[in-house]
Amino acid sequence: MNIAYQGEHLLPGQLGQFFIILAFGSALFSTISYYFAATSTNKFDDSWQWMGRIGHFINTISVIGVGACLFYIIYNSLFEYYYAWAHSSRTLPVYFIISSFWDGQEGSFWLWGFWQAVLGNILIWKAKSWEKPVMTVLSLAQTLLTSFLLGVEIFGARVGSSPFLLLRQAIDAPIFSRPEYLSFIKDGQGLNPLLQNYWMIIHPPILFLGFASMIVPFAYAVAGLWQKRYKEWIQPAIPYALFAVMVLGTGVIMGSRWAYESLNFGGFWAWDPVENAAFIPWLTLIGAVHVMIVYKNTGQAYFTATFLTLISFVLVLYASFLTRSGVLGDTSVHSFTDLGMFWHLVIDVAVFFIIAIFVVVLRWKELPISKKEEETYSREFWMFVGAVFLALSCLQLIVVTSIPVWNAMFKTHVAPPSNPVTLYNVFQAGFAVVVTLLAGVTQFLKYKKTDTTRFFITSIIYAVFSALITALVVYATGVYHLRFVFTLMAFGAVYSVLANAKVLSDVFKGKTKLAGSAVAHIGFGLIMVGALISAGTSKVISQNDTMDYSADFDKTNNPRENIMIYKNEPVKMGDYTVTYLGDSVSTPNHYFKVDYKRIDAAGKITEEFILKPNSQANRKMGLVSSPDTKHYLFHDLYTHVSMVPIKYQDDEQADGGHGEENDSLNYNPPITHQVKIGDTIPFREGYIVLQSLNKEAHVQNIPLGPNDVAVGATLKIVSHGTTYTTEPVFMIKNGSVFDFARKVDDAGLKLRLSKLTPTKNGDALVDIMVYDQPESKKPYIVMRAIEFPYINFLWTGTVIMVIGFLMSIFRRRKELKTA
Amino acid sequence: MKKSSIFGIIVIAITIAIVICTYGSASIYGTFTDAQKNSGELHIIGHVDKQKAMQYDARKDANYFSFYMRDTLGKECKVVYTNTKPEDFDSSDKIVLVGHMAGGEFHASHILMKCPSKYKNDKIEVSATKQGSI
Repeated sequence: MNIAYQGEHLLPGQLGQFFIILAFGSALFSTISYYFAATSTNKFDDSWQWMGRIGHFINTISVIGVGACLFYIIYNSLFEYYYAWAHSSRTLPVYFIISSFWDGQEGSFWLWGFWQAVLGNILIWKAKSWEKPVMTVLSLAQTLLTSFLLGVEIFGARVGSSPFLLLRQAIDAPIFSRPEYLSFIKDGQGLNPLLQNYWMIIHPPILFLGFASMIVPFAYAVAGLWQKRYKEWIQPAIPYALFAVMVLGTGVIMGSRWAYESLNFGGFWAWDPVENAAFIPWLTLIGAVHVMIVYKNTGQAYFTATFLTLISFVLVLYASFLTRSGVLGDTSVHSFTDLGMFWHLVIDVAVFFIIAIFVVVLRWKELPISKKEEETYSREFWMFVGAVFLALSCLQLIVVTSIPVWNAMFKTHVAPPSNPVTLYNVFQAGFAVVVTLLAGVTQFLKYKKTDTTRFFITSIIYAVFSALITALVVYATGVYHLRFVFTLMAFGAVYSVLANAKVLSDVFKGKTKLAGSAVAHIGFGLIMVGALISAGTSKVISQNDTMDYSADFDKTNNPRENIMIYKNEPVKMGDYTVTYLGDSVSTPNHYFKVDYKRIDAAGKITEEFILKPNSQANRKMGLVSSPDTKHYLFHDLYTHVSMVPIKYQDDEQADGGHGEENDSLNYNPPITHQVKIGDTIPFREGYIVLQSLNKEAHVQNIPLGPNDVAVGATLKIVSHGTTYTTEPVFMIKNGSVFDFARKVDDAGLKLRLSKLTPTKNGDALVDIMVYDQPESKKPYIVMRAIEFPYINFLWTGTVIMVIGFLMSIFRRRKELKTA
Repeated sequence: MKKSSIFGIIVIAITIAIVICTYGSASIYGTFTDAQKNSGELHIIGHVDKQKAMQYDARKDANYFSFYMRDTLGKECKVVYTNTKPEDFDSSDKIVLVGHMAGGEFHASHILMKCPSKYKNDKIEVSATKQGSI
């Protein structure tokens, strides 16, 4: 049955698919050519090398072509393509179209492939004698990566998943039997509201550049062993390894910044498998960088350097297996798509793992492993120890995060720890103590041999200083309430900041070589301080202890972190008086205005600001809320709406028409007050003053005859410090009596002028009927507010660390040129 | 003994400690019946019973949410979660609870949700009329 579908744009998809096949083919061609180039014994024949280069150039062009086609499809809302339909929508602003581009697995594979192609070109340009073997490895990685995008059937099994799959091929539904089906598909599924954040435009490219650049040190290590250039590979690989660590680290922290700004778990790090997956290879590669430098300077730790470099890239692939294969299943709050690529991902990990093992085993006897032991008082020994501890910290993350993998492998049924955060925190803090202390102590040691007396004097002086500062910090911030290991971690972090500050001060005396490492270590120390204090001592200030609806809960020591506040009713919360002022809608976001006031003992307002946390009532994903945060220099105040009775957009439109009939349900029975001008009527939340009577009141388009009367009562309403005016109208028209009620929604009132009674002295008595809203009809929000102290240390530490990495990269590159 | 051997022993000891602690702190997947026998925390996989009432009224208590869940063996139990009702709860089908049993009620400390609509089983939404909404 062949249906001639109408309105489909098949060209961009066919072109894109062609580019995918070309990208895969050219990467394979490049791998083979480079392999022969690398093994060729004829020094004067560079034809294989040129073929490899051409293969890689074609690959680069096709990868860009794939991206262009996919972008065209999403940008033009061509919903006949599954990818555009599933990840985008017409209402999405252009800058978020970029985020929807890498919202799906295919888009993120593309991003990875794009960076790898770019790095390949840089290597062709810069790697010189290393080009052939290094590019063989990189092209192989590129071949495997592009194979994930193929989406073609080979021997009955689909290999990879193409972003150019048509909607009617992806989903089986009866409407696809109609040639004009496309005219029924009005819009795509849209982008998850949580991803509609500016960090989601910049964070994924950085993260994937980090992942992609991990291939370079790996490729150098493999090339070094393969080509028997055992000692040479390390020095040119150092700048690339530093670059990978810097970029991946930045990407990870950007992700945590995004989580902090737009997710509502209340923090920047949750040890979620997705976070761990990106962090795991970072830990091993940062360890690798240190031992590579050790080897370069002393000839020690060759095996550790090689091993950590090799394993880092294998772990990158393992991490992508974890997050993309669906193996995590029930253990993560993230819903991972299982695109049926489980075994494909396993093969990818296995190929590179086997290559790593193979080259090491093959050359084991020839490896330049030093037989001599390091001196105890030498920098290289303690750097080596630090690298091993980084690897151990990584091991702990792997062992715990991989519980579902162990289950799948050993057919067991073990659940992850019920409180994984504590387990991770305690272990990782322990490793952090060792690592930060070593990052400090090694600054006082020299390579090969150190004068021990001097070393002990300086390191102990700095330790005493750090202990004093730590005691102050720990006392002031309340870290001492936590487990003791966190106090030790604070000490380690302070120590590493101080020791490296000393190195930095020596830099100004002319020892410029160590500037990069000192700056990076200071940044790292500050990150540790910031993370520790802000996560350890964050305080929920919306603690709700006032209600005793379910007293039995007190036993379960539940934090009860959410607080319900009615509109315009101030609530005391910590140091603040908090008022929910109202909301505004800017489709699709619903913003809630929450006013914070700090009032001093004298009753004066010392500070006032408004936070606007928002929610989207999304048909597909339920209520999706994003917090708003007030940033101070030394702490942040985070506010997030956890529950709110808002309606879906489509409901709201349907609801607009009626309402009057049921209005009485929305108010308490009225209370009638007989008043004259100047009188005050109290009500539950304020008072009303009858200011004047307006004898020339008009009600919209009701014309008044000569005998008709219309009187308006000008009422001033004061409620919770806000003043409103309104004018209910009483009317006699053609002998009949009407009255027109007025509502003041913000004060929760409905007012009627029901009777006019003239008095003898010419004044009039008026009956005002006051309807107020019962508690149950009053608008409210449920929110949670958290104070994060000193979180800015974390963000500034990151910036400082990146600067340090950049300085180191430049230094190592310069060394390479002079060497 | 050589320094490297001592260090090697320390590394091995830490590795063993990691494995033991992971194993020791690992929870189990169970059912409501297991939870009744066992006082510790455990994971229960099940489906929300949407026929029975879910209770959440922010005006009474913003930190009390209760519902009924059926575990994999079909046993049903009231679940209490002292927090707001999770945002995407209504759209989720299969859920994983982490918590313990207390007096006939299961007190959940975490609820992990799997939303079928988010990624899989996509439903095609079509409007009834061709020239309907824009």
